[in-house]
Amino acid sequence: MNALVTGATTPLGRALVDRLVVHGPVLAVGLEEDGRFDHPDVRYVAADLTRARSVRELIYGPATEHGTDVLVHLAFHRRAGRARSAALHIEATRLLLRLAEESPVLKRFVHRSTAEVYAVRLDRPDILREDHPLELAPTAPAWVRERVAADLAACTRMGMSPIDIVVLRCAEILAPDMGSQLHDWLSASVCFRPMGYDPLVNVLSLEDASRAFELAALGSGSGVYNIPGADTLPLTALVRESGRDAIGLPGPLLGPLYAARRRLTGARFRYRDNAWRFHFNGVLDGSRAARDLGFRPSCRLSLG
Amino acid sequence: MPPRLPRFIGDGRLSKALLGPELRAAVEGLPIADAGHGVDRFGLSRSGAARGIALTRFLYEHWFRVVSHDIEHVPASGAAVLAANHSGTLPVDALMLAHDLVRNRGRVARIAMDWFVPGLPWVNLVFIRGGGFSGTRGNFHALLEAGELLLAFPEGVPGIGKPFAERYTLQTWRRGHAELAIRHGAPIVPVGVVGAEEQMPQIARIEGFHVMGAPYLPIPATPVPLPVRIHLWYGEPIPIPSLYRPEHAHDAVAVDEAAERVKLAVRGLLARGLAERRGVFR
Repeated sequence: MNALVTGATTPLGRALVDRLVVHGPVLAVGLEEDGRFDHPDVRYVAADLTRARSVRELIYGPATEHGTDVLVHLAFHRRAGRARSAALHIEATRLLLRLAEESPVLKRFVHRSTAEVYAVRLDRPDILREDHPLELAPTAPAWVRERVAADLAACTRMGMSPIDIVVLRCAEILAPDMGSQLHDWLSASVCFRPMGYDPLVNVLSLEDASRAFELAALGSGSGVYNIPGADTLPLTALVRESGRDAIGLPGPLLGPLYAARRRLTGARFRYRDNAWRFHFNGVLDGSRAARDLGFRPSCRLSLG
Repeated sequence: MPPRLPRFIGDGRLSKALLGPELRAAVEGLPIADAGHGVDRFGLSRSGAARGIALTRFLYEHWFRVVSHDIEHVPASGAAVLAANHSGTLPVDALMLAHDLVRNRGRVARIAMDWFVPGLPWVNLVFIRGGGFSGTRGNFHALLEAGELLLAFPEGVPGIGKPFAERYTLQTWRRGHAELAIRHGAPIVPVGVVGAEEQMPQIARIEGFHVMGAPYLPIPATPVPLPVRIHLWYGEPIPIPSLYRPEHAHDAVAVDEAAERVKLAVRGLLARGLAERRGVFR
């Protein structure tokens, strides 16, 4: 297998490249000019996926020369709500898909999506299966809508495309530099939460996430799969196991409080974007991934 | 030095103290599919179940003096649906049934809650940690697949909110429990709850009150539930798997027929319970 991995300089990208290189040469793609991989079978290419020309040059240049047959699209904008994020999440995904379909060598496209694409609501099931309604509310944060659009861009090509398309909707990867809102929330020594609620959250380790993408890259056929983590626990237990203190406050105070924190410290956590899941359960059901991909989360997070 | 009160409550020592050895053993023996951190995928925890049983013990033993009839009709294991009449302004019937099933059958009743309950602060935690779940179809599916014992009130909010004059009159009987039981091949156990319909008569309600998603604000005749005696009558299971095939879940006539069987069985249990009881408080 010859793989191409976008977002290769992220912690998940690096972990996946290390796994895939065991199965064949890997073309690692990142934004940084000086991205380095020590393995001789890993070739690093710098490319700005928000520029169409750069994407074309990547697919018809190094990817074709390299004989890439699997493209794993991990690139995500780490900061929510930035102008470049829409170009990266939606336009780059669409273009990569189209060029992958036209490519003479590519046979498989694996797209990284997230659990945030699901609508978590009071009147919806606690267990999120792949057919759970997506977050299409006009009031949803822009970055969530972008991820839904990118997810749908990949899903709508399934069955029509000459290549296999796989979408992995991952639980939140609780690791630094992964754009995790929960990780940022937990970085404060005191975590404020809405009083009277303690919903279940499911978090994914970097090891399990990279293993899921490895299995998806090596597999065959198309499909959408939830990738849950091995840790399902109440929000307060997550805070406690992270060595922090949780303090319950009335919900309406939390939005302004975290907005002030964002302005003062440059933190990324936005309460408004997480309000639903700070009230109601939303746990990914991974039975489909277990059945079709053979993926079962096994690595518990070492919190604290 | 005596323990600090918040810690005494929070770490479960209060629950253990209130449970006593027999109930503690019953709670310890409950089958709970731990998802890794002491809770299952819906939020049920053993400590939450213990807290629920401890808090309802006084009500069960002394206030309502609950009498359980024919609980052996509830399957000892595997997926099943309990369908009961609903009444009483406060969901005392659900709490007493849940307590009874832990105490006398060693099973956790997964109580299908109306959608507004998970939105109520603190109340949601008491119910969810004790086995309740938001009564959506998706949750119903997942729990039946997992082989759980579901407790449904097909009358829904109109049942618990009916005026005193309509006690023991079954309200519109919803079909969802029958459809899902057919789909999953789960037996339905009809349950007649006698006594709860008199425990907190409702004299009026404010329809425009929708704080936290509540459907209305009830005005009960008494500030606290009356100490009526509650009888729980478990009927013979309706053998759904031998009467219907899973594809019948798509057949409205078959679903209606199954739901009607359950309704008639509950009505029969209520009639028997009312005929056999010696008085509301005895």
